[in-house]
Amino acid sequence: MLKKLSLSLSLLLVVIFFSSGCAVNRATATLDPTADLVDIDSIYVTKLALDKRGVNLLIVDKLKSMGYTVSTGDDTPSSVDVVVTYKDKWMWDITMYMIELTVTIRDSKTNFPLASGNSYHTSLTRKSPEEMVSEVIDNIFKQGDRDGKE
Amino acid sequence: MVKSKLFVFIILLVSVVIILSGCASPISKNAVVVHSIPAMQQHQKTVTIKTQGGSETSLVDISNISDIVFEKAIEDSIMESGLFTQVIHGDDSDCLLNVSIINVTKPVFGSSFTIKIETGWSLSDPNNKKIFMRESITSSYTATMGHALYGPKRFRLAVEGAIRENIRLGLMAISRLQLE
Repeated sequence: MLKKLSLSLSLLLVVIFFSSGCAVNRATATLDPTADLVDIDSIYVTKLALDKRGVNLLIVDKLKSMGYTVSTGDDTPSSVDVVVTYKDKWMWDITMYMIELTVTIRDSKTNFPLASGNSYHTSLTRKSPEEMVSEVIDNIFKQGDRDGKE
Repeated sequence: MVKSKLFVFIILLVSVVIILSGCASPISKNAVVVHSIPAMQQHQKTVTIKTQGGSETSLVDISNISDIVFEKAIEDSIMESGLFTQVIHGDDSDCLLNVSIINVTKPVFGSSFTIKIETGWSLSDPNNKKIFMRESITSSYTATMGHALYGPKRFRLAVEGAIRENIRLGLMAISRLQLE
């Protein structure tokens, strides 16, 4: 009797475990109606202090491939058109993977968030960091009806 | 003896898994409406509200606020405070208020949950595109074991508190504007 009950509870545990958070996919973007991404030429990607994986460099590569003049570092210069900030979150499931990435395009003078994108993919539908960066930035610029300068 | 220990262990494990997963409840509008803002300057204009960046709460997720609930909470807060004369659902208003949720910083575990939210508030004239305000507003709220013992509820209370504070700060910023 006890054995059967233990078995049932174990099965329940497995069901609960696998039904929670197995495959959550979310990819959203926002664009402030007062923002215009069309006139952007120069972009500065502010490196997150805690970023040891070089996500800033992936963002730089993606934006450069879209035709922008891009630089990166720890400062927040006002001599560029916009500043890009980001927040990445990683999880472990057999290997480490990027579960969530938020990228925000900000006014370089006021820090106002002009546009933002977020992607969230759990383990079973995980994407590589390059794919996450590409998805988020593409979604942001789709909001502004622009695929890049070229 | 061994079997009963195993039984207790499994019960505990099931309880922990249930508590850690799939118990989130969505944010309710009434919990985030701002009821009193002191010294509010009122504008004799109508406004349309647009919200972005919110997300639905799924059973396996943590508590989130949807765009529609966020919009309704801002609308009710505006009407209660009298900040604008009317909220218009359409294009025929004097002002367009856009509020985008940009970042939500959430803890994973802890006895106290501090939620930090950054939003972008912009107020503009939809007819001539004149920008009255652009502001990044950050708010936070800490819910402790004293607020709720049950983790998911404590988490929801922290999110609600941070959103409520964000709406309050946003409306106060608009109140300070000279729109006439």
